[in-house]
Amino acid sequence: MTAMNRLEDLRYTMESCNHCGQCKWVAGPRTTGWRFAEICPIHMRHHFDAYSGQGLLNIARELLDGELSYEPGLVDLIYSCTMCGACDTACKSIRDMEVLDTIAALRAHCVDAGHGPPAPLTRAADAIATHGNVFGRPRAERDGWRHTPAREEGGSGPIPEPSSSSEIAYFAGCAACYLQTGIARDSARILAAGGWDVQILGSDEECCGRLLWQTGQWQAAEQQIERNLAIFRRRGIKTLVTSCAECFGAFRGIYPRFAAVEVEVLHISEVIARMLREGALRFDREVDLHVTYHDPCLLGRQSEPYVPWQGEIKSFGLHEPPKTWRRGHDGVYDAPREVLRAIPGVTVTEMARHEENALCCGAGGGVAAANPVLARWTANERLDEAEATGAAAIVSCCPQCRGNFTAALPRRDRALDVFDLTNLAARAL
Amino acid sequence: MALAPEIYREFEAIVGPAYISDREYILAALRQPQPHSPFKPVSPVAVLLPETTEQVQAIVRVCNRHGLRYIATVSSLISFAYPNGPNTIILHLKRMNRIVEINERDRYAVIESGVRHGQLRTELMRYGLSYPVASVGPGGSVLANFACSSGDNHVEYGTSRSNRYLAGIEWVTPTGEILRLGSLATHAGWFNADGPGPSLRGLIKGFAGQWGGLGVVTRIAIGLDAWKGPPEMPTEGRSPRYRMRLPADCHKVLIFKFPTLDQVHDAMQAIGRTEIGFSVMKYFNASAALLATESANEFWELWNSGLFQRELARPLFVYLSTWSAEELAYEERVLHDIIAETGGEPVADEVLDIYRENMDFFVLVGFLQRVLRLGGAWAPTKLGGDSVSHMFEVAKAIPEFFDGFIARGQVLDAPDNFMITPAEYGHQAHIELLYLWDRNQPDWAEVGLQVMRASLENDLEHHHHGSSPPRAKAMLERLGPRYSNCHVWIERLKAAFDPNDVSNPMP
Ligand SMILES: Cc1cc2nc3c(=O)[nH]c(=O)nc-3n(C[C@H](O)[C@H](O)[C@H](O)COP(=O)(O)OP(=O)(O)OC[C@H]3O[C@@H](n4cnc5c(N)ncnc54)[C@H](O)[C@@H]3O)c2cc1C
Ligand code: SF4
Ligand code: SF4
Repeated sequence: MTAMNRLEDLRYTMESCNHCGQCKWVAGPRTTGWRFAEICPIHMRHHFDAYSGQGLLNIARELLDGELSYEPGLVDLIYSCTMCGACDTACKSIRDMEVLDTIAALRAHCVDAGHGPPAPLTRAADAIATHGNVFGRPRAERDGWRHTPAREEGGSGPIPEPSSSSEIAYFAGCAACYLQTGIARDSARILAAGGWDVQILGSDEECCGRLLWQTGQWQAAEQQIERNLAIFRRRGIKTLVTSCAECFGAFRGIYPRFAAVEVEVLHISEVIARMLREGALRFDREVDLHVTYHDPCLLGRQSEPYVPWQGEIKSFGLHEPPKTWRRGHDGVYDAPREVLRAIPGVTVTEMARHEENALCCGAGGGVAAANPVLARWTANERLDEAEATGAAAIVSCCPQCRGNFTAALPRRDRALDVFDLTNLAARAL
Repeated sequence: MALAPEIYREFEAIVGPAYISDREYILAALRQPQPHSPFKPVSPVAVLLPETTEQVQAIVRVCNRHGLRYIATVSSLISFAYPNGPNTIILHLKRMNRIVEINERDRYAVIESGVRHGQLRTELMRYGLSYPVASVGPGGSVLANFACSSGDNHVEYGTSRSNRYLAGIEWVTPTGEILRLGSLATHAGWFNADGPGPSLRGLIKGFAGQWGGLGVVTRIAIGLDAWKGPPEMPTEGRSPRYRMRLPADCHKVLIFKFPTLDQVHDAMQAIGRTEIGFSVMKYFNASAALLATESANEFWELWNSGLFQRELARPLFVYLSTWSAEELAYEERVLHDIIAETGGEPVADEVLDIYRENMDFFVLVGFLQRVLRLGGAWAPTKLGGDSVSHMFEVAKAIPEFFDGFIARGQVLDAPDNFMITPAEYGHQAHIELLYLWDRNQPDWAEVGLQVMRASLENDLEHHHHGSSPPRAKAMLERLGPRYSNCHVWIERLKAAFDPNDVSNPMP
């Protein structure tokens, strides 16, 4: 690893925290009232300060200084965080601190000390090592999505044949390859409709490794990243298109911690927006739907490119050399909205918490696997907010979000539809 | 030391098992040293999250029975919210977070302790109402600010300190009685904390509040003013680069600079006499530079350019907020006359633009915590209140004790980083000197206290009311005689109301 990412490198952050609490709240200028003003899912659920960015910094500091030991319950707390980064963005609106990196380093500390991660997450790591995907499904079925229609897909017609020579590849990601295959199918249709000839990696495609990094399994993450980068090199890939926000965020925000990334990484929403602007794609069919848009954490506030920094924090916080901060300002926020607004018949109403202040869907950071009850609880909070807009559907750009929202739906009174952006876009073609 | 299992069970029966913890990893989040301090607070023995006044009362009674100390807190921004002795439990009041009532007709809001500035401010805007928001950031507790801690803000010129806005109090005394004060006591509603009915407002809040040292305030009503801006925050942009422009026909910021402090004083007094303007301040300049920048490096670039030292050493920030364009034009004319008569001139446009673009500076829900950006070692001193003229006398004496710290390189070279803000159109004023130091310097652990002591001694030498009576016995005893022997009063009241000395005892 090239950057200063270990807990001991992050002491300045841990010692700078003054318990101001901003990491639990939507940025003041974006607060809209009493309801929907909080931003940290675990703090909303548990209320104790320990369950928050600030609390995790405090815990990390005590563990590092040997003032706290791993006792029952602590590891569960550490792994209840969805790594959504809301605390990080909120804190960085006022301070020069790396809250999310510290949480990640805390998890790595857990793993190094032999206390983490919880069993479902080590199983996921084993599955990735053996089968190349988090679910432990056969590698050979990775591009099975190309041949079998899916319930959620919005488009119709055949799936285009992949190119073998294109420098552009479509990276579907584990969830769209095995579970929500409609997203992969619609993505392929959209790319073809816009005139993009793409490679599909098939059984060469492996998990992006996001989960490994987020859950502190950094050695495995590094190996996974190196494997993927080697595949991209071998296949001559210059541009990678993802439909999964988590893969996208991993390539942009996690990979550069371990290795130089030489491919351009684009999210499908950016590609569609570009195609629409250039006239390469048109939405001809009306989709009569009132929607609200949910910003996935790794497409929004966490998608700014990570620029490794190695240096010294001098007197009065001066960073030498200057550091490129990831404050959540330049995430992919506009493209998905541009695409939605371009679909005839679609109207969009924003939720109170949106863009860099969006509430997490609840599934990230390994929580969907390690603590599904909490994941559903958070999804419900978000769905409440979606319903408050009056929309009939919530649209996201990530199979994880879609999966978690869908799992929360059966216990709700009102039926809200859940779509991935690609499903709606393909329906409008 | 751990909480005895039988006491734990008593508490658990009150709040329920999900809302109490004595786990070390839960307590770790409530015992961290503040970045300005080398001292780690004593660990609380448990934290409780009550939901109702009755639960608070029951907890307080258990504490009295077992001699356990307790501290009520919400966001725990300041060191008084942390234990300074053993056997202390934290009553974290964040679940008591209801806005009980917004009364548009009589213009008051009834709130519980967990309601935050960011929430109440934006909720009230929809009703065309507002209140003086403390400059603590959106997560600060409104109740704590109005009833338990200080209460100064950027708009107190046209409003006041928060203590003057208290319109009703529900209070759990240190021994666990529930008292409803003022108009509430006679079931007359929430409109006045002083009467009809018994008043203990001065005792609970007075100038600066009891910082948790006299029981728990569970509900308050606060008086509301008109909000002359739009019903929703007109925010543009994304974090950390938000912009907030209020409608230009009725909202305007003007900043002037003066050759001497006396001229700032004269202009401030003259503006107050005309009662124009909503906010008038001689503002901090280094803090202003911190608020205007997005990173420590950016701050240094700006600060090293000398712009803020040149333009904002002796400034007057004026924010005009009116109902009509005509009213704004009138106020502006009056203001320009005053500035011309007192020898001020406008600051450079590049400084003014910062505030025109971002009136969050006056709305005050944004970025105040940026003042800690240089690593977090900072402290305010003075914090007192008196007449406008007296506050300027205090300010003129600052160099006597402060310049030495700058010359020795112990604090940031920012001699003009103090604020004087008049309240109630200049009938009184508040002063605050913010100083920052660096945790890398070898004596960093002592600097904070050294400056504070020197500042206090300077006040004593000049018979100034610059300092607010501090919440530390030794310093309070030193200052008390200058403030009607308040140290004796405070001690006696504490003994009378809190015989077991369990409600956040003073260090
Ligand atoms: C950067 C910074 C800037 C600040 N600027 C300002 C400012 O401009 N104006 C200002 O007035 N203050 C300011 N403060 C001081 C202080 O934080 C505020 O007064 C704030 O309102 C306290 O609210 P809180 O939510 O932080 O409360 P807490 O920190 O939780 O509590 C503050 C104190 O009140 C006590 N308390 C809290 N709730 C209760 C209750 N229900 N019953 C009894 N006691 C209680 C606590 O024990 C504690 O001693 C500032 C602090 C910081 C760190
Ligand atoms: S916002 Fe940052 S400084 Fe404030 S409490 Fe959270 S982590 Fe600490
Ligand atoms: S990453 Fe998200 S869930 Fe985790 S502490 Fe931060 S805001 Fe809370």
